[in-house]
This record gives sequence, structure tokens and C-alpha cells, in this order.
Amino acid sequence: MFKNIEHYKPDLEKTMCMLGKLYADAARRRGGNVTFRALPPSDVEFYSTFDLTKYNYESDINEYAEDLSRLLAESFELRREVDDNMVPTISPVLGIGDYSAFVAGEIDFRKDTSWSKPVFENIDDWKRIPPLGTSKWYRWFLEICEAMLEISSGSGIPFMRGFFSPLDLAGALRGDMIYYDFYDEPEKLHDLLAFCADATIMFAEDIYALARKYLKDTKYGMYYLDGKINMSEDIACMISGKTYREFARPHTQRVINHFGEGHMHTHSRSLYLVKEICSMDGVVNLWLPTDPNAPRPIDHLEELIEDADGVCLAIDIDDFSEIENNLEILKKGNFSLTLPVKDIEEAKALTERFNLLEGI
Amino acid sequence: MIIEEISLALQKGKANDVKALVQQALAEGYTPKDILEKGLIQGMNVIGGKFKRNEVFVPEVLVAARAMNAGQEILRPVLVKSGIKPIGKAVICTVQGDLHDIGKNLVKMMLEGQAIACVDLGVDVPAEKVIAAIKEHEPDLLCLSALLTTTMIMQKEIIEAVNKAGLRNRVKIMVGGAPVTEKFALEIKADGYAPDAASAAELAVQLIGEMHV
Repeated sequence: MFKNIEHYKPDLEKTMCMLGKLYADAARRRGGNVTFRALPPSDVEFYSTFDLTKYNYESDINEYAEDLSRLLAESFELRREVDDNMVPTISPVLGIGDYSAFVAGEIDFRKDTSWSKPVFENIDDWKRIPPLGTSKWYRWFLEICEAMLEISSGSGIPFMRGFFSPLDLAGALRGDMIYYDFYDEPEKLHDLLAFCADATIMFAEDIYALARKYLKDTKYGMYYLDGKINMSEDIACMISGKTYREFARPHTQRVINHFGEGHMHTHSRSLYLVKEICSMDGVVNLWLPTDPNAPRPIDHLEELIEDADGVCLAIDIDDFSEIENNLEILKKGNFSLTLPVKDIEEAKALTERFNLLEGI
Repeated sequence: MIIEEISLALQKGKANDVKALVQQALAEGYTPKDILEKGLIQGMNVIGGKFKRNEVFVPEVLVAARAMNAGQEILRPVLVKSGIKPIGKAVICTVQGDLHDIGKNLVKMMLEGQAIACVDLGVDVPAEKVIAAIKEHEPDLLCLSALLTTTMIMQKEIIEAVNKAGLRNRVKIMVGGAPVTEKFALEIKADGYAPDAASAAELAVQLIGEMHV
């Protein structure tokens, strides 16, 4: 179903070299890298056509994997002439619920996403669940990964999977009670967060081992997994920098330390947390999408460059002129700039325009 | 002064202290109206202002609101006895398709902090359930929350359903949630939009005032 990655990304070597330099400089806290991603509708539209309620995940895993792989392959094919920083990746899509159901609980599937309900009524309920790795969704998720890896084997397309941070995982398992836990049960909350860090490490290692089985002989198949962890810090948007530092950071740091490099995600709602997240050891990338009714990162470049201290900030922009108008400032830090475009032709044209900018 | 202590304890989220201080204030002869307005509501107003300015965050608002509830529990029977009623009533929910309730809960707590009684319909609430609740509870306000761009459209559908049911002139409708903007609120013909929970409480008081003119 999938062709070789170089079919979808003819300039693969150049792109990987650019990304390699970007993250190496970010690790050394040295700026000077500005990269560009055009976001045509075809990169994301397939999510809305992929009906998650259609499958019985116990019996239809192969059908699910084939349907999703076909949509991904079509999407990659459409953008093959776009010479930007986007590298095709294979990743299961199950919504949000699977990000915590691998520990415990059920997934509530909707057509285009999913949710999980909090299952830890008491803060130390993690001590009473069956051993990690034995839950239904832990097993099914690995089976889904394997089905997708089998379909894509031979293509050399990197496999990719992100995770909740320990705080996000604890938030999903505990629900809104977690906001009271900061005050009512600080010690027990640390215990829960430590459990969530252990769970994330174990689950990620199992997924990575599975991917390695299929991708170990490919040049870039493990690019987004080996020595890396990709984690969200969404609940962090609801708490202060001080609370983040005290509760979330030590556990997130432990997960990053286990793998090596941290590729993080939070929201523009919490620009005040950029410094906290980027100052953790090993963090090289922070995806910071703009929220409605919240500050736009592109409007706060000077302070963000200072707070990020060389960590690559993946931010979105509304218009290409925002790159041209801010180019000299952008070059002081490391950036991956994403611009939604109306179609592939515009994606190609703007990428060419970007590649002609001086000093890029 | 004990009323000030109530406000400060509430701001720190000390529910047991608030409870004890309210009891003490009543014993010392303070009026329930003063305890409510100058102690509890004043404390929530301070927290609301700090929340708007990013000086406190969700956990601090939640523990403060819990302390407010603890104080109100003591005060409620005395308020009823004194004939002091809530300033209005709101029906509140997260719209159909959306399971997020933290924003809705924060608004509810802030409204209660302004002595507005709330009927909470929960999350994932369809238009029919909202219509039934308006008929049953006869609220001054209907508050609709949505966290997702994919579900905010349900706010429009619910407003249209309220229109269709002939109830639109009986209730003011407020909308909110992370993706919702003032422009969207105007487009869907809501009566009001607020960017955060504290502003929502201020708007609610204003809209209830307009209802009762």
C-alpha cells in the first residue's frame, strides 16, 4: 500500500539533514534554524473522513489498519512535491481516549475522536488496578501498531507515537479531582505521577520495541522514536508555573531522561510555561499551537526566544508575510513555522518562496 | 474583622476555616447578608479577578469555590429564614458531543459565588434536554459551554431550538468555552459571551439585572 518514503519525500536526505541540525543546535541551546511546513487541507482532512466508530477493535484491527493506511498513503501522495520540513510518518489514530486507556478504563469513541472517562475515584486507586501491560487497550493498541507496521514495512516511513505527560495521564485517569489533589493530597499526587511516569516509560518501550522489530534495518524508520519521547503538557495550561515546577516537572523530566530527547507540546494559552518546559534537560522541541482567544506565539517572539533558550518552537502563523516581517528575529532562535494553505499548489509555491529567503 | 477573615480564608481555599468563621460570625451577630456579600462573595470576587489576570489558576479557583460552598452550607438555612433569596437562577451545561466540564464547572462555581442558583445539566447535553430544563426550572439564564470547535456549533443549534420552542424571550443565553469568540456569540444570536469564568459571573449578574428591569 505504501511506496518507499523517498517517493513521498524526494528530498528526504536534505530534510533529515536540516532536522538533524535543528535538533542538534537546540540540544546545544544554539539558535539560527528556521524551518517551514505548509499545511494543505489534505494533510488533515482525512481525520474527519475516518470514522472511529466503524470498528470493533477486538476483531477489526486489520480492517482499521488498512483503512487508515490507505488514507495516509493518499495524503502523502498529494504532498510529495511540497519541499518543506514535513516527513511522512505512520501513526495510529484513535482519538484521545487511548492515551490513558492503556492504563485502565474504556474508550468512548465518537466519529472523529474519542475520550476516556476518569477511572481513579481515589487518588491511590493506581495501586489496585491489574498490573501494567495487562489491560485490554494496552494489548489492542500494540496489536494496532503491529498491523500498521506490517502494512508499512519495507517503505522506510518512520513510525511515530506521542504520549501524555505524567500530569496529563494522571489528569485523564483522575478527572477534575486532580485539581483538588494539588492542595488536598500533595504527597499522594506525587506517587500517582510517579506511577504515570513508569506507565509511560513501559508503554513507550513496548511500542518502540515493536517498531524496532519492523524498522531496525531502515535508515529513518526509528527517527522519531529512538532516543526520543514525544509528550503533551495540556493540563499544565490550567496550573501556575510554580505548581508545574513542584508537581509535574520532576516526573516529566524522569521520562525524558529515560529516553534522551524530549519533544513536547503545550498550548499558546500557557506561554508563561514555555520557560519551565524548555528549561528541562533534554527538551529540544516544543509544539505550541495557537488557541482561540489566546496570545499568538508569533506576536511574542522576543520573549519566547529568551524563554525557549534554543529549544525549537513549532508555532503556527496566519500569513506568509509574518515570516518575512520577522525573519531576523526568528533567526535568533529555532523555529518550525506551520502555515495553513488552501491547496497543494499554494503549499508548493509558498515553500519555494520560503526556501529562497536569505539565510534559511 | 471576622468578615475579612472569611474572605481571606476563602481566597486561600480553607474550607474548614471558612465554615468555622461563618459560624462564629453568626454567633457574634453579623447579619447573614453581610457575611454572604462582604465575606463570601467578596472573597470569590478577589479570586475571580486574580483568575482573569493569570495570578491564580484552576486549582486555586476550585478550592476557593469549595470553601465558598462550605460557608454557604452554614449560611443557607439562616438566609432562607431571613427571606434572602438567590439573585437569579441559571441552567448550565456543556453541549451535546462535548464531554468537557471543567469550564462549565468553573462558571457554575463563579455564578454561585454571585448568589445565582444553578441547575447543572452536566455534559453532552442535547437541545431537547435544555428545552425541558427551561420549562421545568424557569431560569433567568441559560449558559452553554463548548470546548471544541467541532461542538461549539451545537450552541447555535440549541439557541435555534429555544427559539423554535417559543422560549427565547423567557431566558437570556450566555455562551463560552475555549474556541468561542464574541463574534461567534453575536452570529449565533446569544445574549452574551465571556472569555473566562470570572467575566461570565459579572455578565450573568448584568443579564439577570436586565431580565428583572
